[in-house]
Amino acid sequence: MPKAPQYVGPGAVDVQLEVNRDRVSVHVPPHRTLLDTLRETLGLTGAKRVCDEGTCGACTVLLDGEPVYSCMTLAVACAGRCVETVEGLASENALHPVQQAFIDNDAFQCGFCTPGQIMSCVGLLRHNASPTSEDVLRAVSGNLCRCGAYPNIVAAALAAAKKQRR
Amino acid sequence: MNIKVVRTTAEFEGELAETTALVEGKDLVPWGGDDGLSIVGARATRVDGVARVTGRARYTQDLYFPGMLHVRMLRSPYPRARVLAVDASRALAHPGVRGVLHRFNAPKAAFRGEETIFRDEVRFAGDEVAAVAADSEEHAADAVRLIDVEYEVLPFVADLEEAMRDDAVRVDAKGNVSESGTFDRGDARRAFAGAKIVVEAIYRTSTQIHNSFETHGAVARWDGDELTVWESTQHVFGVRAGLQAALKIPYRDIRVLCDYMGGGFGSKGGAGKYTIVAAMFARQLGTPVRCFLTRDEENLAAGNRSATYQTVKISARGKKIDAIEHLSWSNSGQGRWVADPTGPTKGLYDIPNVRTRSYKVVTSLGALSSFRAPGYVEGTFALDQAIDELADRMGEDPLALRRRHAARQSDPVTGQRYSLKRLLRCYDIGEKEIEWQHRKPEGTRGSAPHRRRGYGMASQLWGGSGLPPAYATVHLNPDGTAVLRCGTQDIGTGTRTVLAQILAEELGIDVGDVRVELGDTNSQYSPISAGSLTVSSVGPAVRLAARDARMQLLEAASGLLEVGASELRVEGGKIVSKGRRVPLGEVLGQVDNYTVIGKGSRFPNPEGLSLKTFGAHFAQVEVDIRTGEVFVEHVVAVHDIGRVINPLTAASQVEGGVIQGLGFVLSEERVVDRPTGRVVNGNLEGYKIPTVRDTPKITVRFVDEPDTRANNIGAKGLGEPPIIPLPAAIANAIANAIGVRMRTAPITRQRILDALSLQ
Amino acid sequence: MKPFAYARPRALTEALELARTGATVMAGGTDLLGLMKDGIAAPDRIVDIRDLEHLRGWARVTGKGVRIGALVPLVELENAAELEKLLPIVAQALRPAATLQLRTMGTVGGNLLQRNRCWYFRDEAYPCWLKGGVRCFAIDGDNRQHAIVGAEECVAVAPSDLAPALIAYDATVSLSGSRGLRTMPLADLFVTPHGRVRREHAIRPDELIVEVRIPENALARRGTFEKAMERKAWSFALVSAAVSVKVIGGVARDARVVLGGVAPVPWRARDAEKLLEGKPLDDATCQAAADAALEKAEPLKDNGYKVPLARELVRRTLRRLA
Repeated sequence: MPKAPQYVGPGAVDVQLEVNRDRVSVHVPPHRTLLDTLRETLGLTGAKRVCDEGTCGACTVLLDGEPVYSCMTLAVACAGRCVETVEGLASENALHPVQQAFIDNDAFQCGFCTPGQIMSCVGLLRHNASPTSEDVLRAVSGNLCRCGAYPNIVAAALAAAKKQRR
Repeated sequence: MNIKVVRTTAEFEGELAETTALVEGKDLVPWGGDDGLSIVGARATRVDGVARVTGRARYTQDLYFPGMLHVRMLRSPYPRARVLAVDASRALAHPGVRGVLHRFNAPKAAFRGEETIFRDEVRFAGDEVAAVAADSEEHAADAVRLIDVEYEVLPFVADLEEAMRDDAVRVDAKGNVSESGTFDRGDARRAFAGAKIVVEAIYRTSTQIHNSFETHGAVARWDGDELTVWESTQHVFGVRAGLQAALKIPYRDIRVLCDYMGGGFGSKGGAGKYTIVAAMFARQLGTPVRCFLTRDEENLAAGNRSATYQTVKISARGKKIDAIEHLSWSNSGQGRWVADPTGPTKGLYDIPNVRTRSYKVVTSLGALSSFRAPGYVEGTFALDQAIDELADRMGEDPLALRRRHAARQSDPVTGQRYSLKRLLRCYDIGEKEIEWQHRKPEGTRGSAPHRRRGYGMASQLWGGSGLPPAYATVHLNPDGTAVLRCGTQDIGTGTRTVLAQILAEELGIDVGDVRVELGDTNSQYSPISAGSLTVSSVGPAVRLAARDARMQLLEAASGLLEVGASELRVEGGKIVSKGRRVPLGEVLGQVDNYTVIGKGSRFPNPEGLSLKTFGAHFAQVEVDIRTGEVFVEHVVAVHDIGRVINPLTAASQVEGGVIQGLGFVLSEERVVDRPTGRVVNGNLEGYKIPTVRDTPKITVRFVDEPDTRANNIGAKGLGEPPIIPLPAAIANAIANAIGVRMRTAPITRQRILDALSLQ
Repeated sequence: MKPFAYARPRALTEALELARTGATVMAGGTDLLGLMKDGIAAPDRIVDIRDLEHLRGWARVTGKGVRIGALVPLVELENAAELEKLLPIVAQALRPAATLQLRTMGTVGGNLLQRNRCWYFRDEAYPCWLKGGVRCFAIDGDNRQHAIVGAEECVAVAPSDLAPALIAYDATVSLSGSRGLRTMPLADLFVTPHGRVRREHAIRPDELIVEVRIPENALARRGTFEKAMERKAWSFALVSAAVSVKVIGGVARDARVVLGGVAPVPWRARDAEKLLEGKPLDDATCQAAADAALEKAEPLKDNGYKVPLARELVRRTLRRLA
């Protein structure tokens, strides 16, 4: 017979993960999403809850460097993994090039989808220092924007890449 | 300071209304076209950019207070039913639940003409039946499912055209259909009788849902008798009024705040039931309470753009349009008002004989609310297609036909002269940018097999003049930095940035030295951020406040520098006198304890003039006639809005309007299941807003001529104009491409393929 | 979402034991969590299989075709430089599928097992037949997105873009369960809900997908894919078409014409496949095959447009192979 299965929960369990380069430990039940954990347990409210069902991208964060919808990711499944949110991008005295490009290109209006858009663009530039417009479209077509800042978002991503290359 | 009472008529979202306001002092001579402005009119990135790109911007939804409770609503599953009994005992026994409110235990509270928050008779699937407050959203949501309600299910009607029928279920005591507007100029019916060319058609538009990314919601906290409400709103003062009416407490004890907000598009005009409920629970339970709608609820109960059924009859005489009749029925759901789709028909084109009738149709669906140019988007979709249909029958170029009716410099509705109208200039710019000469009456071949290319255009009429009252206060600190306080909101349009530019320009300091504090009822009043009126209402008051501060500053500087005030001026944050340039901080710093306070108010619009914005959109599309796919290749958007304060944020507004218009005309449609009266696609998967890949090349152009008769900054509004003509321009381009007129929005593959299969 | 107990075994045997004793299997979670948030699924226990190394990775095995582990994220396939050459139909199907985030999170196995997107099925308030109720609400309701062919009691359509692409390569799927391993044609993983079968897949609750295999001889197929959506990105297919043929001596042999979005299962248009046998892929043949593919279509009141749309996608994809 195989070893007896080890369940945790349904009550809260300790989960260790890395968030914006800090090791953190949270006490959450297995059904709690990464998004709710970031926002309510860790006070990181940059990632937004817009659809809460994996259709809009406003909750996009990087998990081990890859863009995911944190509303459709369980916190317990992130144990031992690295989470990056919009709060972790800027250094003490400088914005991340993508953040600066978003300002320079007016790539947001109400700004509610912006943290997710930025994380998708940052994820893209990690893998691809010279993205084409098509690459940008692929990276952000899972990030909806109701204000319609799309042309400027694409321009910002391309501008950030150009600046980063220099 | 002398205070004057002004009574004036001003336009808000297509309707004229009397307004009374107080103004202080004297208005300024408007900035002219050659006043050497350096900040106003120049590109400026957003002053709140850093906050927004770092996640530091705190939206109402980001507020979490210790001990805060969360509210979730129980909503009616039925489109119409009587609530006979509510048993909340199981819900109250659920872990973390602190309270349940429903029609049998909630305090009386006046809300939008009704006496209570929880109706005896629920009138749409999604109507509030009860509310639960619990220590977490999850517990509240669980408990909602444990409330037992006894309903008496009643007959309903949800579909617009079904509700219009004589034998329809009556869901309003006065009947489902009521006349909401009539207009006659000349005699359209007589003109039709003698006309050789008459075109008549039915147009339909679907219900569009705002889907603001931050859903509607509020956080309420009581400190003793004082209530503070944070709300995602376009009008903090509107929320305050709603709270006062519902809770019967004085303004003194209410403060409403909205710092950052995640979109509204017209739907966040005042207190919602969630606001009142949050405040009630917070008082009852003695702890802060948060109530936000979920995405599904947002799509059911937070407003929408009415679906319409419109008929347009239009006739020609010689080479001109002679008469038009436009009848329109709007599905207002449970709304208490209705927008008027015939607005553009009355005022956009110079046509001698016009007859319009608008009707409000009540149905068992959630109430409409303003949605970016309510009525005008739907109406222009019908009007500007009808004009193309007539042009086709006349064998005329549709742009040439419009030009014959666009030159008039007075408002055909009131007869008043326009303060400024450059519609023909918009046509000229657009014609050139889209290369209209490529348009052929029968369309052209597309870039791939089975693809047809077409061109289309449409015109835009809207108000956007702004109106009093609006007030602003400038605090100029001893170090030369300034804080602007006013009660308006930045709903994403760039209000903070534009107001900082106006302030900096007039006061003579840098934008970087200005901080703008908005969204607080402890400031002086500002109107709702809607109706394209923010810049044109608040901007002139800000300029006056800055002027007031500058005059006081010069007086103070004159004393401190011992130079006559008339020999001083302020420039780039420095006092300039006889070749000397002293930083403000050095001058005022001599007495590091004095704050210059400047005040300004919005003066009335000029009497006897009609203040409007105009524009035109041109579109180039391709349509795959085998798959029904529409490819929007290029949109040229040209607007005449007076002075452009910030070309960067203005272009963003236009792009956003174009993209939202694309959603309206190509993909967005609330789907209601007829047998059950329920919305089945109330989410961002089933309800299709445009993605980045749906975005065409967009060319934005402004006439950018200051309207020096309008107000002291020469600017009019831009929020709504860029969504108005886009749907009709696309529809006209599609018709040009495929030779079949698509009269129902959205023009989906389904509708195109169905229409082509009938050919 | 109802709270649940959670386990994350490292060994397949452990995972199978958990599945056998009632745990619901979760891979990427992008569909399961959606169902749970909507109240359509409410498991007490979840077994998260992401650590099962055995189910990871994909490779071309000389002489043995391609093996794709069930846990391969869609994006891993998509990002492989050789995919476009090796499996062009799959490459073309992945590009417009969902979004980059969902393709990053979602796995091959999970994609194949995702449940339908019928708006009545996904709304807890409708006790539809598939969920154990007595009737299908789509038949009298709004059925613009529903099936035009092959449906019985339930008219929801198979949503996967990947499935038609893999079926066009004659893929097989291996399932492991408490009763051992079984392998079947991928097409047989999908079942038409009918009678007592109120589900869309042939997998048993105690089973999980181990891998998908594409036989060596299918790699010589010429194939292509096309998808029609309601907007330009991030939509489930109104109709998708995956086609493949072996071209021998200038004529088509052993064609596969597989449609998504038209039937409760990825729909093999066998009449079209038969018609193509031994014919050159000229205009007339492609059109005739397209007509044959939809000959048996019986659209509902709102979805008649899917017939010409599907017909055109079949014609167009076949024509592209000529």
